[in-house]
Amino acid sequence: MEILNEISQQLQNGNDEKVFELTESAIEKNIKPKLILYEGLISGMNVVGGQFRKHEIFLPDVLLAAKAMYAGMELLKPHFIKEKMPTLGKIVIGTVQGDLHDLGKNLVGIMLKGTGFEVIDLGKDVPPEKFIETAIDEGAKLIGMSALLTTTLPVMKEVIHLLKEKNLLGEIKTIIGGAPVSKEFAEEIGANAFAFDASNSVIVAKELIEEK
Amino acid sequence: MIQRVPINVNDIIPASRDVLNHQGISENSVIPDHIISLFEDAVVVFKLKAKPIAIIKKVTVKEFDIIFRGEGKNADEAPLENIYPHSGNLALFALTLGNEIVEIINDLFNKNDFAPGAMLDSVASMAADKSVEILENYIFNNLSERNLTKNDSIVLGYSPGYCGWDLSGQKKLFQHLNPGKIGITINESFLMTPLKSVSGVLVHSDKEIHIFESSFTFCRYCKNKTCYERMEKILEH
Repeated sequence: MEILNEISQQLQNGNDEKVFELTESAIEKNIKPKLILYEGLISGMNVVGGQFRKHEIFLPDVLLAAKAMYAGMELLKPHFIKEKMPTLGKIVIGTVQGDLHDLGKNLVGIMLKGTGFEVIDLGKDVPPEKFIETAIDEGAKLIGMSALLTTTLPVMKEVIHLLKEKNLLGEIKTIIGGAPVSKEFAEEIGANAFAFDASNSVIVAKELIEEK
Repeated sequence: MIQRVPINVNDIIPASRDVLNHQGISENSVIPDHIISLFEDAVVVFKLKAKPIAIIKKVTVKEFDIIFRGEGKNADEAPLENIYPHSGNLALFALTLGNEIVEIINDLFNKNDFAPGAMLDSVASMAADKSVEILENYIFNNLSERNLTKNDSIVLGYSPGYCGWDLSGQKKLFQHLNPGKIGITINESFLMTPLKSVSGVLVHSDKEIHIFESSFTFCRYCKNKTCYERMEKILEH
């Protein structure tokens, strides 16, 4: 449908006003909200994610597209009250206890939401237990942890240790990231995955959700 | 004696390449105009709303020893413990860019204005780093006026939370310095509010003292290795 292509294109251009108008218009034309979401908004965001990974566009471009995505999603939300807003999965994210640096974590949240994940953002300075309690309460299968301060890296290990203690390893999977975090560290502490940037976190989260 | 150090906001505006690099944009990239505009707009807001201020306080090696040991949570071995005992001049510091700039960043994110929000966040983070450099120069010039510097001496800042100095070190540092006077507080996790604040110790000593092998236990896990950049700077100095 032409209008869905237009939504996708304007989203790629980061034109939030146009995406809002077109989404409104698509709803008025009785196009199914699920179709608008997947073939308009998420389709556009997937193109943007791909271009970013290939270094064809820059982070600010992705963030402008994300704003456009949110503009469209706000209009769609009321139409998903009966049948819940479809998601790729639920993920609990936060900056670990002892750390207030949340720019990276915020970008991860924006990109995950933009590709269709339901994101529960616990903010910053999040104690290990809080990650797990929230994941259990919300039925989330993924926990994403971020840190910038090198001295807070052990908190990530503690979350994984607590998951092990509660026999939840495998049932709830973990992704870690942040400037000082490395793949080696992720392997050593038993995290399920390491994401080297916000865009990569989307790929990694999708892979973990699809894993049996 | 605690001393206030005024910081002119114009002196801490970061270079566009540093900010864009913070956003993952490499120096060799051709930057589109709309991204340049985002940076320029962020600088305008930053100049209007950031209220940088700092305090410093001279401490002896003996006093700092207690502050550094903090709550006993440091790594088994940390580079700073091999550095500060060799310093003739140590000063605690705390600086903030104020709360208003943090509120504006939060507002932008809350309004889904992610690109301007992230750009302003990057500008503020880089500016906070530049503020530490201002303090380093301030101390150095001060010592230099009193003929206390040497050709191969330097002042360098270290902060809790990095390279084995546990963040709980903030507790004793704050007891000694009382940055509440300039509006900085810590919470029970020893994290500072306003967010764009930095604290630590300024160490004056021979350059070579600051050079170390990144072979500490915690270095194994650390990917960003900002210590290398610092050491490279020292060698270029």
